[in-house]
Amino acid sequence: MNKGLVKISPCFEDVMPQEYKELVEKGSYGQDYGVADLGSFKELIEEHPLCAGCGLALSMRLILASLPNPESTIIVGSTGCSALAFSQVALHNIHSLFGNQNAVATGLKRALKLRFPDEIKDVVVIAGDGATADIGLDMVMQSWFRRENITTIMLDNEAYANTGGQESGMTAEKAVLNMAPKGKNFPKVNLADVAQVAGCAYVATCNPAKSRVLEKAVKRAILAAREIGPTYVQIYAPCPTNYKLKPDEVLATVKNREKEGTYPTGEFISAKAQELFESLEGGSK
Amino acid sequence: MYVSAKVATEKCIGCKICLSTCPEPNVFVYIKEEKKVQINEGRCKGCGLCVTVCPKQALSIGS
Repeated sequence: MNKGLVKISPCFEDVMPQEYKELVEKGSYGQDYGVADLGSFKELIEEHPLCAGCGLALSMRLILASLPNPESTIIVGSTGCSALAFSQVALHNIHSLFGNQNAVATGLKRALKLRFPDEIKDVVVIAGDGATADIGLDMVMQSWFRRENITTIMLDNEAYANTGGQESGMTAEKAVLNMAPKGKNFPKVNLADVAQVAGCAYVATCNPAKSRVLEKAVKRAILAAREIGPTYVQIYAPCPTNYKLKPDEVLATVKNREKEGTYPTGEFISAKAQELFESLEGGSK
Repeated sequence: MYVSAKVATEKCIGCKICLSTCPEPNVFVYIKEEKKVQINEGRCKGCGLCVTVCPKQALSIGS
């Protein structure tokens, strides 16, 4: 996207909403902002309809702040809680059928490669756990097998949260939910390991309690997807509404789960990706 | 009753931990000159996550 596109045409300044004016004046397009600069620029996401204390909203906010090149990033979403917030995001975004997100992203990335061969265009899939691990698993896996240059980010809230709390493949074993009263009776799908085997160049599991780690993972995933191949980031974003947490317990839950080892974090870097990160400022970015 | 986060300016040390903990965008504004945070109360949903991470107990939820 050309940065000039967001500029307000002369004599329309008075009728544009305040939020838009702020976005033009203090937005992050073309700037090298990160999570550390939050609070000093206008974020790409506006007031969203997600619940108070939502871990997914926090993760989304951190992801959008850590995009290396927001003005030329296109996000592809899928049905779920995350899609509710997409209308408030000031980036190009596509919403397609439930589970189709990686197929749409594949076509988009290929078209962009043909149309803009000299420009960097990042295609980032941001979808929930239901869309990634259950309904869209076919499309997600096939895009990895084909080595498409797209980043897949899963916001894992361990349930189908906006339809009342059904269990998903990513729900932990024995977890009880509104619509899973007997508890889930098979273990959580380990999609991070599946991604490694399926050919992802970079795989990371992280959580919003460690915002710098999350920022690094998202940046690395996007940079590796540009050069090498598919990348996958899994973010644990607990749902206070369906897991009956108080809104202020969300981050404590994240930290506890990591401490107990029931939601381990870490990253897998392929040899090619390692070389790339080392060549890019000693692997720090 | 509408609740939102409040900051006790004298206790704030400007560590910016609350900024990367809030799920709502554009609630916290960092004032560079004073090295303190300000809260845009109209945007706060009062979840209290910032209160749990503040190392100086400078934040509270109130109406």
